[in-house]
Amino acid sequence: MGQPDRYSRQRRVAGIGETGQTRLREATVLVVGCGALGTHALDALTRAGVGRLLVVDRDVVEWSNLQRQVLFREADAIAGLPKAVAAAQRLGEVNHEVAVVPFVAQCSGAFLARLPVQPDVVLDGTDNFHTRYLINDWCRSAQVPWIYAGAVGAEAVAMAFPVDGPCLRCVWPDPPAAAEVGNCETQGILAPAIAVVAAFQVAEAIKALVGAPPTRGALTVDVWRGRYGVADLVGPPSTTCPCCARREFPALRDVDVGVATTLCGRDAVQVEPARGAVFDLAAYADRVAPAVSDLMRTPHLVRFNADGVRFSVFRDGRALLFGVADLLRARALYDRWVGA
Amino acid sequence: MMNAARYLDHAATSWPKPPEVPAAVSRWFTEVGVSAERGEGPGQQVAHAEVAAAREGIAGLCGVAADRVAFCSGATEGLNLALRALLRRGDRIVTTAFEHSSMARPLLALARDRECVVRIVAPGRDGGIATAELAAALAEAPTALLALNHASNVTGAVVDAAAGCALARAAGARTLLDASQTAGLLPLDVGADVVVASCHKALLSPPAVGFVVARSGLDLAPQKQGGTGSSRALDTHPIEWPRAFEAGTPNTPGLFGLAAALRWRRGVDAAGRLAAARARAQELATALNACPAVDVLAAPETDRLPLIAFRHAGYEPAEIGAIASMEGFTIRTGHHCAPWLHRHFGAEVSGVVRVSPGPDTPSETIAAFAALVAGL
Repeated sequence: MGQPDRYSRQRRVAGIGETGQTRLREATVLVVGCGALGTHALDALTRAGVGRLLVVDRDVVEWSNLQRQVLFREADAIAGLPKAVAAAQRLGEVNHEVAVVPFVAQCSGAFLARLPVQPDVVLDGTDNFHTRYLINDWCRSAQVPWIYAGAVGAEAVAMAFPVDGPCLRCVWPDPPAAAEVGNCETQGILAPAIAVVAAFQVAEAIKALVGAPPTRGALTVDVWRGRYGVADLVGPPSTTCPCCARREFPALRDVDVGVATTLCGRDAVQVEPARGAVFDLAAYADRVAPAVSDLMRTPHLVRFNADGVRFSVFRDGRALLFGVADLLRARALYDRWVGA
Repeated sequence: MMNAARYLDHAATSWPKPPEVPAAVSRWFTEVGVSAERGEGPGQQVAHAEVAAAREGIAGLCGVAADRVAFCSGATEGLNLALRALLRRGDRIVTTAFEHSSMARPLLALARDRECVVRIVAPGRDGGIATAELAAALAEAPTALLALNHASNVTGAVVDAAAGCALARAAGARTLLDASQTAGLLPLDVGADVVVASCHKALLSPPAVGFVVARSGLDLAPQKQGGTGSSRALDTHPIEWPRAFEAGTPNTPGLFGLAAALRWRRGVDAAGRLAAARARAQELATALNACPAVDVLAAPETDRLPLIAFRHAGYEPAEIGAIASMEGFTIRTGHHCAPWLHRHFGAEVSGVVRVSPGPDTPSETIAAFAALVAGL
């Protein structure tokens, strides 16, 4: 049964009111990725009373997640529960009025095309630019606003992409090279940096759902140095952007991130890089070296252990992952350690 | 795109096929379009003639009459059907560690269901299955079936099938020969009661073409029922061989390809082609044996097929496969669907690397591959 006081404080906020609360209840939000960003955002969206939450994540809960991924408990890590499933269980206890639909899957073009209902807003909770460009292109093609966020170390960035402004490709035409991007494994991650940008995402999502104007520009924060600001990255949509100028959506044409195939006879998976990816094995080895164990370099490959899995990464960016049999898990580990 | 000169996986499937083979498949689609034995018309006559030619060709290789050849989708289907027809409750079966999963898996599953005893003969120190070991295994207890892979798809070691079949016959056992690796390379008229093979390897057909040949008088009971094209009976399956064993719409385009491949083979020096592939395999073995980190799996030299299996002390087989593929080579790594042989060699965790050159493989390809491995 609904409790009449449940959303009373939220309703009193100017700009929400009874109408806004009703809009939230009738809304659907897709959260792509259920890690630190995703769990923070899902918790807040559930408490805010957003009617339906679609959450997609291909990974399982691990001990190293508990430091910042607020929906998970030790029991989830012990059970190795899929993150989307563990999150849906927890959120059901937070607010039974919200329908949380978990998908244990790779967020691919095919996945987005088969969503049971078109979301009103998409939140980026991913850890890789391949998926972010996919989200961008799909949201542009379907005319859905989305909110980007990312964090490494103590720094974080977030930006709303409403349908009438520039898109991610207008601001950054191409994804950064895998070797240029730090990640949580190599540079760590401080939970409050996540919390800041996740809160920004949720605020922008609520505003979009109730029809309030979005924040224009990119929120940049460094919670260690104490720098918080909104950078002005906003102009009109780029006249050379394939999405905005030509209504072409390159990521929707791409085959999914490289193909993952199980190797014959043992727990091992081969993952191929995304089509057209450029890979520098030596630079990659330098970057990953501090974060992994038993690193070994040969002219042909780099071997190391990470997350209990042995990696062999080759010159063309393909990798063999020994000690993992599940293709989704292998893809997640590849994106985490080798890069998308 | 595949690199034909660097294609070193002929034991998996031959490639490229003679151009006559895809042309025959294409001809079926453009000029024929119907199945033999299904309806009346000009297309059916052509289809009937080509399928009959394919049947005659296989019969000739096996030394039987054409009406002893039943077509199927490949050795996997053929061995499953033949084993089901041959095994009875409580039977004892002698087989070898060379068996491919297409024999090993249905054999073990049926043995569990039908309470059969399976005796697996292990290779000797030289990597071969000695005839004396087969004789000893057959002599241990009354045996109903000798299930024999003609050659290992991992090491290329060939079993003396004629001797094995003679021993089995003397012991009162039937023989089932898996000739997938040898069909098109070695004689198949070795006295087996049943011969099964895939045709897409050295017989050069498209994939999904295989056969079950049962000697005269041994009409294997059909293990699947269904449409056979024509029969007087309406709702009971016919029993006339081979049609009884071929229920369902046949793979007529594949059989057109097989007929063309068999025709093409008659015009070439098959012995010379086998010798050329063997020479390439020998070049590779010599080069690899010179690498201290490489362990080439043993196989007797007599009749050995042109394939080499090896391990490397510093690299996983899958790593070598990835490195070779970046250089344009097509090879095979893993367990090659041969679980028992990998256990025998202690390679059940990582498997091995298998390289199988073809008759047209240049020596330069072998040298380049050997240099790649030597440089690891």
